[in-house]
Amino acid sequence: MAALCRDAATAFQHGEPVSGPNHEEPRRDRLRLAGRWLVLIAAVALAWPLRKESSTSVFLPALSPYVALCSTLAVRSLTVLTLLAVPVLLLVLFSPRWFCRHGCPVGLLQEWVERLRPATSARWQQVPPIGKWLALLTLGGACLGYPLFQWLDPLALFNGFLNAWRQPLAAASLLTGLGLPVLLVLDLVFPRLWCQRVCPLGATQELLAWPRRWRRRSTRCEMEAGGELPCARGFSLARRGFLAACLGGAGAFALRVIRKPMPPLRPPGSLGEGGFTGVCIRCGNCAQACPSRIIQPDFGASGVAGLLTPVLRFEEDYCREDCHRCNEVCPSGAIARLSLAAKRRRVIGPAEVNVETCLLANGRECTACIKRCPYEAITLHSADGGFSTLPRVALGRCTGCGACEAVCPVRPRRAIRVVARPGELAEG
Amino acid sequence: MKANLTRRELLRLLAGAGLGTAFASRVVADEITAAPKSAPVPESKLVPLAERPRYPATLVGGRVIQPERPLKVVQETDVLVVGGGPAGFAAAVASARIGVKTTLVERYGYFGGQWTGGLVLVVISSHAKENGQLVKVLRGVGDELLERLTKIDSAVVNQAPGKFNPTTDPEATKFMMDEMIREAGVKVFLHCWVADVVMDGSVLRGVVFESKAGRQAILAKVVVDATGDGDVFAAAGAEHEQRLHAIGLVHRVGNADRTDAAKLKAAGVKALGSLEPLPSVKWVNLRGPSTDCLDVAELTRLEMEHRRSIWQRVQQLRKTPGGEGLFLLQTAPQLGVRISRLLAGTHQLTYAEAREGRKFADAVAVGGAQNAQHRGWPIPFGAMVPKKLEGLLAAGRCICVDEKLIEDMRLIASCLTTGHAAGTAAALSVQTGCRPREVEMAKLQKLLLGQGAYLG
Repeated sequence: MAALCRDAATAFQHGEPVSGPNHEEPRRDRLRLAGRWLVLIAAVALAWPLRKESSTSVFLPALSPYVALCSTLAVRSLTVLTLLAVPVLLLVLFSPRWFCRHGCPVGLLQEWVERLRPATSARWQQVPPIGKWLALLTLGGACLGYPLFQWLDPLALFNGFLNAWRQPLAAASLLTGLGLPVLLVLDLVFPRLWCQRVCPLGATQELLAWPRRWRRRSTRCEMEAGGELPCARGFSLARRGFLAACLGGAGAFALRVIRKPMPPLRPPGSLGEGGFTGVCIRCGNCAQACPSRIIQPDFGASGVAGLLTPVLRFEEDYCREDCHRCNEVCPSGAIARLSLAAKRRRVIGPAEVNVETCLLANGRECTACIKRCPYEAITLHSADGGFSTLPRVALGRCTGCGACEAVCPVRPRRAIRVVARPGELAEG
Repeated sequence: MKANLTRRELLRLLAGAGLGTAFASRVVADEITAAPKSAPVPESKLVPLAERPRYPATLVGGRVIQPERPLKVVQETDVLVVGGGPAGFAAAVASARIGVKTTLVERYGYFGGQWTGGLVLVVISSHAKENGQLVKVLRGVGDELLERLTKIDSAVVNQAPGKFNPTTDPEATKFMMDEMIREAGVKVFLHCWVADVVMDGSVLRGVVFESKAGRQAILAKVVVDATGDGDVFAAAGAEHEQRLHAIGLVHRVGNADRTDAAKLKAAGVKALGSLEPLPSVKWVNLRGPSTDCLDVAELTRLEMEHRRSIWQRVQQLRKTPGGEGLFLLQTAPQLGVRISRLLAGTHQLTYAEAREGRKFADAVAVGGAQNAQHRGWPIPFGAMVPKKLEGLLAAGRCICVDEKLIEDMRLIASCLTTGHAAGTAAALSVQTGCRPREVEMAKLQKLLLGQGAYLG
């Protein structure tokens, strides 16, 4: 059994199709394939549950040990969700690439795509193991709060793809779902390149398999008395790995230090702007779950680093006071898991009034924002001897839900707008 | 004068005096014939003490007691509309057009209430937005008035397809309301303050009003309370809510075109005021403090304080570089009372219902959005019907809405449409001989649609 596993592992590492026609045990192969189809169906069912308000889409990306490790390091907190990845983590410790062979829905899709292309070539053989460096850079970055390439997790890409179809079609949502199709097209041109050379989740599994590697290395060292080659290679990998992790940390530090002039509005309970764009895996769960459709993928407002991260837009609707769906579905911890009560106290940013354009401030009897505010945070305030009346936002009550901005009749730029200054309301 | 005149001098004097008298009497006769065709009013008459029965209040044990007395009934009518503001105007016109005898009582000397007398001028929430399209919700009598104003030069702006929130000239509006009331054949009592109600058990049978002619009564089959402050249903003892709201005073400044906007801006003056149909006139709002409009001492204080602050403000502007030519054209004849009493109706229309645009089987009007930014909200008939009191329908800003919907209900467009609906419903209940709350909804809605109203 162990020997078989090892064979499969080495075969995988050397780029031979795992489920080849020349495999010795076709029945066993069929069973494995059936198992993988089951996994794919389960993955789709999790990411696209029948009930719209169900939050099972959080589970699939949370299973990834890559996401779990990097997020936990970056956010520096352990949630129940992180524990989901622990069984997978334990399995890959002893069986590298176990998840790739049995649990990864993207892997199965790739195998399926490969069948469309009979002739296999090894054009990618010269490609260095990019995935390993990506994973190391990300781990290093995570230590400093910014996992650089966490968004490349295949399960997140898979989730993002399904989420793009779960909501009303829009250019923005389609773009977030482009990751998986790109992978599949890549697979058509360079078969298995992604899985064996680029995928950071696969690389993480290999890096994590140190107990097994260590065991193998010690036995080999005993067998080959000189033991120069494998031992030396292991050492050099560790050094390069350490250097890559340091580089990742440096990159993360640089990205965290570069401040955006105007931070964008993030869902309630989001990490600070320094770490958010790194920890967010762009799985699209929050945008999909939001009943008001105010969470949208970003294009440019939060810089290149924040491409496709969720930002809030209050043009049409606002962050409902009876909802914390985005807090329930974030698998990476970029948006904290908050109870409804805690979310209601979380401030997205205060609303600010532009008295130059505000209708009420200009003698018109508009009180749209005052009436709409679910937290009764806006009051009338008389100024200029009664000749002007201004809406005044009570900072102790305003959560920045954006109801006022959504209802403000002033165009094109609303006279009352939420500005990003996250915080917390006092209790009660 | 000499004591003894010659004959010639006497004749000349007599002839001159005769000519003068003849001329003078001619002029007086002309004036009398020019007056309405009512009985000739003697120029002066001596009123003997006993001719008119008097019922003065008397001091009894330190308290002022008014004695019981019979009142003269000056009118018996089918539908009596109390209050000649936007709601009362629309109610009276709609009711008279159905063909029932309609009477309208107004406390001031003109129609339009806050629209004209309060100088509000702008008909906010005339439109709503349905599926991205601008939809006019102010239709029927109110819209007809605005359409007729477009035929007059400088009477209305923003009354055209694609525009919303029309703004009218107050004098043109008063004139056109007079015309439409006259054409509809409404019997009008101006300068009459409603003081009390005539009750027959739990049924309202008419109102008692006070005027220069003293205290008199009008009897009616159905009364429409379009007083804004709910004076009639309050006097009749109907359940209601009493609220405080900001009371301000609007004013208008003239000669705005002669001021130098650039210089004024440099001195920190943003704008002189808002758009008006009249050239060179600007409209200025003053919201004022939140207070009780049922307290006459408060009204007196506010009226005088507001006027002083307006005067000082305009004087200040005149002293500001660039504002030299400006003058205070007018302060509003009426204080800007926004909300006071709200009827407790059989259905309380809430902001939440309005926001979701809830449909009602008894919808009789549709409210609009302040700047046409959201969809319209159907107004149910139940919001105009008192819980228990019979013989009355409310219209305008005093109908049964919740605290947050006040800001939309008190606007002119909503008053015009609910007035139209209440007038038609009152007339229908008279025609079919049923109580106002029992009018057949399908018939009422059909009638309203026939009159051009919009029901969603």
